[in-house]
Amino acid sequence: MDEGSTTALGERVRRAQRGDDVAMRELIVSYQHRVAGFVYAITGRSDSVEDLVQMVFIKMARALGQLKAPEQFESWLFRLARNTCIDHLRRQKLRRIFTPFAPEHENVPEPAGAVDAEELDALRHALAQLRPKDRALLALVQEGRSHAEIAETFKTSVAAVKARLHRAREQLRQYYHSDEN
Amino acid sequence: MKTEEQAWKRLREHAAALITPGFPDRVLRAARASASPLLVSHFAMCAATAALCLIAVALYDARASGDDDAQSLAGWREISAQASELDQSL
Repeated sequence: MDEGSTTALGERVRRAQRGDDVAMRELIVSYQHRVAGFVYAITGRSDSVEDLVQMVFIKMARALGQLKAPEQFESWLFRLARNTCIDHLRRQKLRRIFTPFAPEHENVPEPAGAVDAEELDALRHALAQLRPKDRALLALVQEGRSHAEIAETFKTSVAAVKARLHRAREQLRQYYHSDEN
Repeated sequence: MKTEEQAWKRLREHAAALITPGFPDRVLRAARASASPLLVSHFAMCAATAALCLIAVALYDARASGDDDAQSLAGWREISAQASELDQSL
């Protein structure tokens, strides 16, 4: 993001923090589709995307006042989104332990008509083979986040991010191309 | 590699289409609605806890002072009986 856009974003965030509903709405509209893409990459389920994105933005609206550096809004928002998705997947996993699902219930396919392209389906299946944190990492890269920003989001070093990203990309490529074939 | 990039583009487009019209307004309404009931429920929980504590203290106090009263009464009865005996012996 260039300096001008960062300044404009910071100003919009400050206005939203002061209770300006129009500014808050603008923030939601600006980021709703990007957050949706991010959430879908991590969860792989079309039917839960809108609910999760709504949860992310509700948390955003309630916690925005605590954001000390408005210019860091994007990193903060995607960190919020990542944590919301990871929590959601953990709850689902816990539910599976306590609910006697049969094996055929584990891999419920996407609703009919939800995915309209083979390559998207191949990517979705390939992503599903990766750990949720690796999916989040790849999705953050797709969002144009730098290694430094990703390191900040994951609370780790840039070197660790690069190593993990390299491994995740290799795995994705492997699964994606084997699925394509 | 190109197909992978295309697939990511499709993924983003597909996800964007999942956000239905009116989304920002729903978010703002839900964000406002979830804040106030939380405050009310906090107060309600505090009031209920305080009431339970007061009831517990009152019950304990009633039981403890009831026991004390019974003990005192028994003591006085004994003193009264001894006094009567003394009177009779005199």
